[in-house]
Amino acid sequence: MKSFTYVITDPVGIHARPAGELVNAAQACGADVTIRVGDKSASAKKLIKLMGLGIKQGTEVTVEISGENEETAAAEMEKFFKEHL
Amino acid sequence: MSLDYRKAAQGVLDNIGGASNVASAAHCATRLRLVINDNSKVNTAAIENVEGVKGCFEASGQLQIIFGTGTVNKVFDEFIAISGVEAGTKESAKEAAAQKQNPFFRAIKTLGDVFVPIIPAIVASGLLNGLLGGLSNAIPSLQNSSYYNMINLMAGAALSMLPILIAISAAKKFGGNPYLAAVIGFVMIHPNLINAWSVATMNAADIPVWHVFGLTIQQTGYQGHVIPVIIAILFMSTLEKWLHKHVPEILDLFVTPLVTVLVTGILTMTIIGPVFKVVEDWILIGARTVITLPFGIGGLLIGFFYAFTVVAGFHHMYNMIEAQMVSQNPPANIWMPVATAANVGQGAAAMAVAFKTKNEKTKSMALPASLSAFLGITEPAIFGVNIRYRKPFIAGCCGGAVGGMLASLFGIKATAYGITGLFGFLITTDFWLQYAIVMAVSFVVAFAVSYISYKDEATAQAAPVVEKTEIPAGQKTAETAEKPAKEGADGQKKKVYAPINGEAIPSAQVDDPTFASEALGKGLAIIPSEGKVYAPFDGTVEMLFDTKHAVAVTSDDGVEVLIHVGVDTVNLKGEGYTAHTATGEKVKKGQLLLEFDMDRIKKAGYQTVTPVIVTNSDEYKNVQVVKTGSVQAGDEVLTVC
Repeated sequence: MKSFTYVITDPVGIHARPAGELVNAAQACGADVTIRVGDKSASAKKLIKLMGLGIKQGTEVTVEISGENEETAAAEMEKFFKEHL
Repeated sequence: MSLDYRKAAQGVLDNIGGASNVASAAHCATRLRLVINDNSKVNTAAIENVEGVKGCFEASGQLQIIFGTGTVNKVFDEFIAISGVEAGTKESAKEAAAQKQNPFFRAIKTLGDVFVPIIPAIVASGLLNGLLGGLSNAIPSLQNSSYYNMINLMAGAALSMLPILIAISAAKKFGGNPYLAAVIGFVMIHPNLINAWSVATMNAADIPVWHVFGLTIQQTGYQGHVIPVIIAILFMSTLEKWLHKHVPEILDLFVTPLVTVLVTGILTMTIIGPVFKVVEDWILIGARTVITLPFGIGGLLIGFFYAFTVVAGFHHMYNMIEAQMVSQNPPANIWMPVATAANVGQGAAAMAVAFKTKNEKTKSMALPASLSAFLGITEPAIFGVNIRYRKPFIAGCCGGAVGGMLASLFGIKATAYGITGLFGFLITTDFWLQYAIVMAVSFVVAFAVSYISYKDEATAQAAPVVEKTEIPAGQKTAETAEKPAKEGADGQKKKVYAPINGEAIPSAQVDDPTFASEALGKGLAIIPSEGKVYAPFDGTVEMLFDTKHAVAVTSDDGVEVLIHVGVDTVNLKGEGYTAHTATGEKVKKGQLLLEFDMDRIKKAGYQTVTPVIVTNSDEYKNVQVVKTGSVQAGDEVLTVC
């Protein structure tokens, strides 16, 4: 499993639009992606669960990637977070 | 060298507070999924250090421990054995259905998964082969032309090098490096080895041998073989992953590939290859014995039972049988014409239903399903129509049996595999008339039996219940377009009712790019005339957001709907919203979920327009808006199917 941490800079946090984009990116990367914040976590492929984390601007999240091509998937996800969130 | 599954299971058990703390256990493709009574007894960090564990986290109420495909099921078995926990609840069992099948079915599924990606290569080769064959029959002098010669080379390439394609595909399936796998594939058909096809014509004494580890190994290649290649790559992938984990990083780059190729290569040549070559021969001799039973009996049997094997998810294995037949010289796929008979039979049976039924819904489903069966995609016809009403399924099998028998008697040989039905003409150019007769006869028999036996009223009642349990886990195959199968199997329209009084508008008119583009799913939006949100159907509140400005509800039949009150209203942090429900609560259609203060939201500078979105839209074929304009809560506004 690969993981990285990231502080959200998007003003609305991981909500409607950013959440939708994240779900698409997570689905495209081919691995399992889990977002963890504090003691809560959710699959980045489940829009509702993801939005339910209520992640706001300035929150630090841990992104965990596991699966068959986790190395490339992790790199893709890290790039996505930096560019979009 | 491989993981000690029992030790891994014990390691997990020790760090979750013992068996008594486990409410239920199940597993999916990669993870052990445990429902824990007391989470405070779980030591996640310690679990992550257990050998074999690739990660551990909590999600949707489960402790999920990642072991990876092929490992998790073995750890799960040990876990059940040592903990005494009951395996899987009904719910989780459903989720893990694919993995819980017995090893035989899993092996067949694996074969299918390896073959599906390489079908385009086989089709290209096979079509060239078929077209060249047909043309040179018509114009014999063609065989002397350079063009013929050049294209003939292309036609043969993929088939004679099949082990390399299989190795690459298998590596992708098992998580190994495809390039290393290609190397193993090259080794297995290296030009210095005696070509497998030449062996039969040689004197055994003339075949050169190696003497290694006290064994005498014939220096023969593996042209046209499948199972030895897949097993070799399975071993290679496992070894490679193990090495990646245990070799220090600075050495990994050169030690891992070197050791992986060396060890896999030697084992393949000495043990894996020779042993599995024999196993494969048995399977093929078995299949061949059945299909070549005299007087067309073989074709009759296989033609009849073929559709049953599709239902059981068994048909993945046929790829291998056909690949073997095709890689003979000249290619002689006698399986495909029988499969065509069976597929056309199912299509014709569904078509008869389409013509006879008075039920518009059945008609509109059966006709396209039957057409796609003639093109080789049978799942919509089988699962969507024939199995539901049973008699058409048997009628289809009868058509398949008669057609299969004819195909066998005619001795039709196809030059490729991966295509059946009408397109099959392209790979049966030497037998086009016989092939046409087989299809016509299968069609007529199946259509007639189905038309006579099918009756609307007797079956309409029982219809929706049957098929859900009968769809095998292997439904995502080359023959399956997933969505038609789903639509066919579960064609019931599901309804979403307006959650709010107001004016319904298409999503595209919402002044927000996310909702207007339907990036989160399809649906509509309602401009509220009253600040109340009611449940859009009977279901469960999946999630009430902390900020109370949005609520997600899942219907009892699986439709997930997000009701997002206002645009950008997440910024209000709950001000102006009152919740009347909670996450996890069961709700009835029309039950009050939320109240919101429209004036307050507007004063704060936000719109109150409320998107109502089916967030799992991509699981359905169609999400249709059925009403816009003025709506009352409870009016039907969306249908999902």
